[in-house]
Amino acid sequence: MRNLRLVSEILPWRPSLAGKLNLTTEAFAAIVGAILVIPQGITFAYLAGLPPEYGIYSSIFVTLFASLFGSSSMLGGPNTAVAILIGLSVAPFSGRGSPLYIDYVILLSLMVGLIQLLIWLGRGGKYFQYLSPAAVTGITVGVGIILILSSLDGILGLSPSGTLFFFEKLFVMLDSWEVLINPYSFTVGTVTVITGLIARRYIPRYSILIAMAAGYLAGLILMGLFTQVNTEIELLGHIPFQALPLSYPKMDLEYLLVGISMLPNAVTIALIGLAQSMVIVKRLRSETDQPINVDKEVFAQGIANTLGAFFSSFAGSGSFNRTAVNQSLGAKTPLAGILSAVVVFLLISIFGPLLSHMPMAVIAGTLMLVGTGMIKPQEIARLLSWTGELLVFVITLFSIVFLGLQTGLIIAITLSIIMFVLSASKLEIAIRQEKGAVQIRVEGHLFYASIDQLSGLLKHHRSESVVLDLSVVSYIDLSATEAIAKDLLKRDCSATSFVIVLTSQKMLEHFEQRLDGMPVQFIQHLSAQ
Amino acid sequence: MNNLYILLNALGYRLINPGLSLTASLTSLCLLSIAPVAAEPLAVEALLKRGYLDDYHSNVVFGYRIVTETEKYGARYTGNRLRCSNCHLNAGRQPDALPLNVAGMYPKWRSKNGRRNGIGLRIRECFVYSLDGIMPPEDSPEVLAVAAYISYLSHGEVIGNAPPGRGVPTLPDTGYDPNPANGKAIYVARCSACHGEDGYGKAGAPPLWGMDSFNGGAGMADVHRAAGFIWANMPLGSERSLTHQDALDVSAYINMQIRPGDPRKSKLLKLFESISGLVE
Ligand code: HEC
Ligand code: HEC
Repeated sequence: MRNLRLVSEILPWRPSLAGKLNLTTEAFAAIVGAILVIPQGITFAYLAGLPPEYGIYSSIFVTLFASLFGSSSMLGGPNTAVAILIGLSVAPFSGRGSPLYIDYVILLSLMVGLIQLLIWLGRGGKYFQYLSPAAVTGITVGVGIILILSSLDGILGLSPSGTLFFFEKLFVMLDSWEVLINPYSFTVGTVTVITGLIARRYIPRYSILIAMAAGYLAGLILMGLFTQVNTEIELLGHIPFQALPLSYPKMDLEYLLVGISMLPNAVTIALIGLAQSMVIVKRLRSETDQPINVDKEVFAQGIANTLGAFFSSFAGSGSFNRTAVNQSLGAKTPLAGILSAVVVFLLISIFGPLLSHMPMAVIAGTLMLVGTGMIKPQEIARLLSWTGELLVFVITLFSIVFLGLQTGLIIAITLSIIMFVLSASKLEIAIRQEKGAVQIRVEGHLFYASIDQLSGLLKHHRSESVVLDLSVVSYIDLSATEAIAKDLLKRDCSATSFVIVLTSQKMLEHFEQRLDGMPVQFIQHLSAQ
Repeated sequence: MNNLYILLNALGYRLINPGLSLTASLTSLCLLSIAPVAAEPLAVEALLKRGYLDDYHSNVVFGYRIVTETEKYGARYTGNRLRCSNCHLNAGRQPDALPLNVAGMYPKWRSKNGRRNGIGLRIRECFVYSLDGIMPPEDSPEVLAVAAYISYLSHGEVIGNAPPGRGVPTLPDTGYDPNPANGKAIYVARCSACHGEDGYGKAGAPPLWGMDSFNGGAGMADVHRAAGFIWANMPLGSERSLTHQDALDVSAYINMQIRPGDPRKSKLLKLFESISGLVE
């Protein structure tokens, strides 16, 4: 049975799985997705310390495999957090962008994929569901801010090595802006961002495309007037693009040693990649009626990163911004993702030579547009009325921006679990005086963390008759039962009575066994079931 | 101010990644004890055989690869079929053939832009002119790697002293103007077997002119400098067999031929050249 389920999760997606397939919608979403992923892939390759073609390879192969083996319209591929973490993990071992560095990144990506596959085998997908929506909003906004900050490098013509920490960058920028900021790059970047913001108001679908075209044109004009050599506008350059960039992770003693010391980072990256994908999956599941299988999505992420390592790709995960755009364009199946990989391939093969003169400032500008798009005021406003949620949001956001993504995500997960436990251990209790007895109606889970609330009440009403209504309690553990038993023993049974109202047969048996011979009466309400 | 920044930087790194730096340095120690890098620098070829290299040495190897296989490792910023090592012979290790052991000569002051110009700028200029490509940013991995390679080659040189055989020899004034007609005859007799009748190169010998060669802004486009290079290094295998005047003549002939324009003057031309790749 279990094996059968595993096998069904391994099978790739086929059109027959989708009831009604709207090809034009999916294809249009795929084209937009491809246009969005190219600048992101290139910039994230930068963040990961790799040459741009590796970003393109990831945009093709990781997206392809993640959609092919997935069950939803989630778009995978290069991801900010994952890329930054890859850069941080491999940088200590070799020079940025060197062949050895690339080997290590591929090794690391393979490790990430394999760890995710292990999580899939251990059915770990469900644990990621605990991330609270407030934490997710915090992460999204935080990543948006990080995107905006890292786009500043390109727009101002600074160095991408300064992308690591927020405070550093501001410090450097304020300290020596006169020598650091390239006025030409700045102009090109500003044109891109402003055009994009205007276009987003009127023709949101094409805004990124229009912004890129405007920036590209601005770059051409500036270089035409002042030449690239003099303006030092940083260009994307020729992308040595191979149709089938086969690669394989090298395995010998040295690589093994480096691999072992990267293991903690591989685990972190695997978890963070999955956490993001699962958040997206969760959101898709609540907002659409796609036939989503969480475990299959875990498998898809794992296999995409594993196979990606054999196609010169670095690890990725689901993408918040691209999935959102995909969803807004009406894509409903993995087909959009599969097609978008094909479109990236076609676009790069056809327009590759044009891209060589694309200013990096334009790419940074689109990134800033994507980043600003991730900060949605109405979503933050929704949180304002819930103190607890607001707190989670603020702490998550603060830690992501100031302590870095890695720490921030761990804090977000911890906070979510704390929130969950707090809410689970809270009992709703209603008290009424009726027919000479105290009626106590309990809602929630009765377990070691929540029982104190109830036993305090029972103690308070020890001298009165009590009707304990547990008809809507779905779970009770040993320590809660014992606490009730303890209270019963201290009661004056001759003067008062103690009645427990229950619905489930299982709970009744449980009580009868534990409270055997005690002065207690049970009423079973089958109707309420 | 700067020191404070470095301090903050280091602090931030430790704070965020306390485990990582430790494991990384442990591994480096462990691996270096397997394969210690000697105090005297090894030949780059020996480094190539190593599986594990630290940050600096992996950059040196990367730099070596860019210089010797530019079309593969430096493809991002190159625009023609040349390699750095076509002019910087023996991967920049041959005197009188533009050797690259010159790290000690940089940075030097240039009044032109009032800034200190490091070895980075020289590397970037060769990308733009000699390789007819795109100006890489100062901090691109390619530039940093070649700079590391150059500093590796410069081990043992005295800082500020020109290493022996730097650049190309300056030929003595022959008293005659360069004569391209004689140059053509010499080219056909002595050079075309390798570089081709049409100068577009053949398998194993790089193009001397045409749209796949260095552009008008390159150091090699200077008739006297090219003459020095040719006299000292060409024809390959029978170097220094040309007279000074013949070298000057053939250099003048080569530099009269069609080649990509100087990107400082031809503005948009570069873009159209690269877009024409679309049509091809
Ligand atoms: C077409 C021939 C040619 C090619 C190809 C070429 N260079 Fe050069 N390079 C020259 C010449 C000529 C000079 C000397 C120019 C001068 O002194 O102004 C030079 C000078 C240099 C210098 C300064 C040397 C010194 O003595 O100070 C460096 C560094 C350099 N090149 C790096 C490179 C790199 C890196 C590449 C490959 C990306 C490259 N070159 C490709 C011709 C070439
Ligand atoms: C035996 C073949 C051979 C002959 C003959 C020969 N060359 Fe070369 N030449 C080469 C090779 C090979 C290189 C590249 C060196 C390398 O990559 O190590 C080269 C490089 C050059 C370069 C620098 C690279 C470039 O493309 O600009 C120039 C200039 C040059 N040769 C000029 C000449 C001239 C002038 C003659 C005739 C006097 C000549 N060569 C004869 C093989 C030859």
